[in-house]
Amino acid sequence: MEAPTKMKEVLTGTTIIACTYDGGVILGADSRTSSGNYVANKVADKITKVCDKVYLCRSGSAAHTQAVAGYANLYLNQHAIELGDKGCSVKAAANIVKEIAYGNKAWMNAGMIIAGWDKKEKGKVFVVPLGGTLMDVPFAVGGSGSIYINAFVDRNWKPNMTKEECKSFVRKAVSLAISRDGSSGGVIRTVTVNEHEQVKEFVTGNEVPVYQDEIQSKGPPQVEFVSV
Amino acid sequence: MSGVGSGYDLSVTTFSPEGRVFQTEYAGKATDNGVPCVGVCCKDGAILAVEKPEETKMMLPNSNRRIFTVSRHCGMAVPGKLPDGRQIVSRAQQEAENYKRFYGETIPTKVLTDRLANFCHVFSLYWHLRPLGSAALTASFDDDGPHVYLSETNGVSYRYYGIAVGKGRQGIKTELERMKLDQMTCKEALKAVCKCLIKQRDDSSNKKFEIELAWISEETGREFVRVPADLAKECEAAAKKEIEQEEDDDSDMEG
Amino acid sequence: MIPHCQLPSHIATGPHVSPFVSHNEAGAPYGDHRSEDVHVPANPASVPFAVAPSTDKGEVAMGEPRKHTTTPYVTGNSVLAIKYKDGVLMACDMLGAYGSTKRYKSVQRIIRVNDTTIVGASGEISDFQYISNLLEELMTQDFCYDDGCTMTPSEIHAYLCRVMYNRRNKMDPLWNSLVVAGVDKNGKEGNKSFIGSVGMLGTSYTDSHVATSFGNYLSRPLFREFQRDDMSLEEAVSLMQEALRVLFYRDKTSINKFVLAKVDGEGVAISKPFALDTKWDFKAFMNPSKHAVGSW
Repeated sequence: MEAPTKMKEVLTGTTIIACTYDGGVILGADSRTSSGNYVANKVADKITKVCDKVYLCRSGSAAHTQAVAGYANLYLNQHAIELGDKGCSVKAAANIVKEIAYGNKAWMNAGMIIAGWDKKEKGKVFVVPLGGTLMDVPFAVGGSGSIYINAFVDRNWKPNMTKEECKSFVRKAVSLAISRDGSSGGVIRTVTVNEHEQVKEFVTGNEVPVYQDEIQSKGPPQVEFVSV
Repeated sequence: MSGVGSGYDLSVTTFSPEGRVFQTEYAGKATDNGVPCVGVCCKDGAILAVEKPEETKMMLPNSNRRIFTVSRHCGMAVPGKLPDGRQIVSRAQQEAENYKRFYGETIPTKVLTDRLANFCHVFSLYWHLRPLGSAALTASFDDDGPHVYLSETNGVSYRYYGIAVGKGRQGIKTELERMKLDQMTCKEALKAVCKCLIKQRDDSSNKKFEIELAWISEETGREFVRVPADLAKECEAAAKKEIEQEEDDDSDMEG
Repeated sequence: MIPHCQLPSHIATGPHVSPFVSHNEAGAPYGDHRSEDVHVPANPASVPFAVAPSTDKGEVAMGEPRKHTTTPYVTGNSVLAIKYKDGVLMACDMLGAYGSTKRYKSVQRIIRVNDTTIVGASGEISDFQYISNLLEELMTQDFCYDDGCTMTPSEIHAYLCRVMYNRRNKMDPLWNSLVVAGVDKNGKEGNKSFIGSVGMLGTSYTDSHVATSFGNYLSRPLFREFQRDDMSLEEAVSLMQEALRVLFYRDKTSINKFVLAKVDGEGVAISKPFALDTKWDFKAFMNPSKHAVGSW
């Protein structure tokens, strides 16, 4: 037997997405965390709350993005205290995340999407990819799975969707990515944020839709033998 | 020395038996004895005005500034000791810049003035420091509209519709209370503010005065700028004229 | 404190307890904008959290020298600028490429610095955002001085040269090529146009027309032949469009979505995004191997 090789870093080979709709935003993510070929966590939560009504989708090194989310959470909580009843803006949250990602870009492996709702700008999505650029976008996809769904989201995204339209768009995008990306899988988590709510939901693994050449699981398997 | 503070006024770290900190009160006097400064908040913006006596005939006009810009959306007037005031302004500029760099947004006026109040307060906590000799009047325009704040040297800062500090502040405050500031535009208020300042002048001293005016409003694109020289002159002249007219009317009635 | 991240003093230390500005905590003191700490990440030795980046992913490299520069991630391509009769004209597309992926398609790479200056950038977008922020702070300070004068394009060019050169000397270059263009209104003989370029190593020059990256090969030959300092705006715009068209045909990381910006005596104007018409109906394109049998 081969001697144990060096430890592989735990990476969130991932599909993440965030999307504005009429009145708010929806964030989505798969739940697979892998270490090499091993699924280290099959029900990970890659959508982290950083302050009231602002969430962060994480991709890249789990350790790095967790640290960034932790620091962002710390600063934003203090910021919220200083602001009083005004509440943090999505932009301020995104700027803090950018500042951390950009300042440490030499060694940090973290691609993040910041999305949420604030009184001034309403639903907002920002993306901070690998180099620490800050982009203000109507929707964003990220992680290893995103390359499989770029064409899908470009074709199907439209401005001012309803909440239900947006949710099904997000879920469809993530499930398509899961169907082609080995590093994405598990359940589909979504967070919906608007003026009145911030709701966390998920689609269980067996209910994630499958596509081309796969079989949708529907309860106990029906095994049919075919004589040849 | 005996009398005023009975020995309890030597250090900023010592309370008097009545629970007062004399040094901070004396520091407040430095502001009270300073030049008159007015800040008013109108419906479309805010104005800062300072009246400065000509210190010597050899000094060039406009060379002793008392209104400073803190950032694009915010400015300050300092009534008391000018060097101390500049210290506050400089700190305000840093706070505004740091906030913008870290949060990517302009600093809300409340946050700025709170931080400045903290800054001033620290000077009244250590025996080896002396409290600052000037308050700071802030005028700004942020997401929540126009603001006027006064941050005092003892570390309090409040928001006002209109406020006056320095010499003759009581007279000006009374005048301000009579005005309907929230229904006036900055342009309308300009003359009224000049009038307040001119009215409380000590005419006996025969000194020349100079009024420094700056504002921020929708009209200035929400940028804190000096009132254009010709407009400032016009307002001052109109204010003077009105005062003279009123005085004439008064004397007529007497006659 | 997080390494390489300047935090406001109240966050790093709680409420202000010191009336004195600590340079480490509160950032550069006002007026000392060009001091080291603004442009340079903190010394790793002074930052408890900083670790040496590993040379091989998943393996901690001990005793390795610190590496700042990796590769650019989100990048912009060529920026072009030419002088014309009344001022200067600058152009570039709006793509933020991620490797060869055309990822972001609404990136504004030309910024207005003040009433007389614009800056365009190719290269790493995050570094350009950092530079934009430096310029914005610089202009705010200029505004605060309230002395009736503003920085001229050549002053801003000189400033950016120092920033870029300083960073390359720290072995941590800002991965950009910048173009500074504008009009100097302080001259005695009326308005004077200025165009200057700064590379990521601090190399710089000024000329009547400049370009960055691919534009150096594809656009400057056109400029050399057709650009004149006394050409009209219409002529300048059509020359610029021709240069952009060539770039779109021959630069693989480009998209057909451009902006033009001009500076003249009136101030700065930046166009809305537009697309160029392209021509593909040449006869020879239909069957290119017809006249060269055996080729494909």
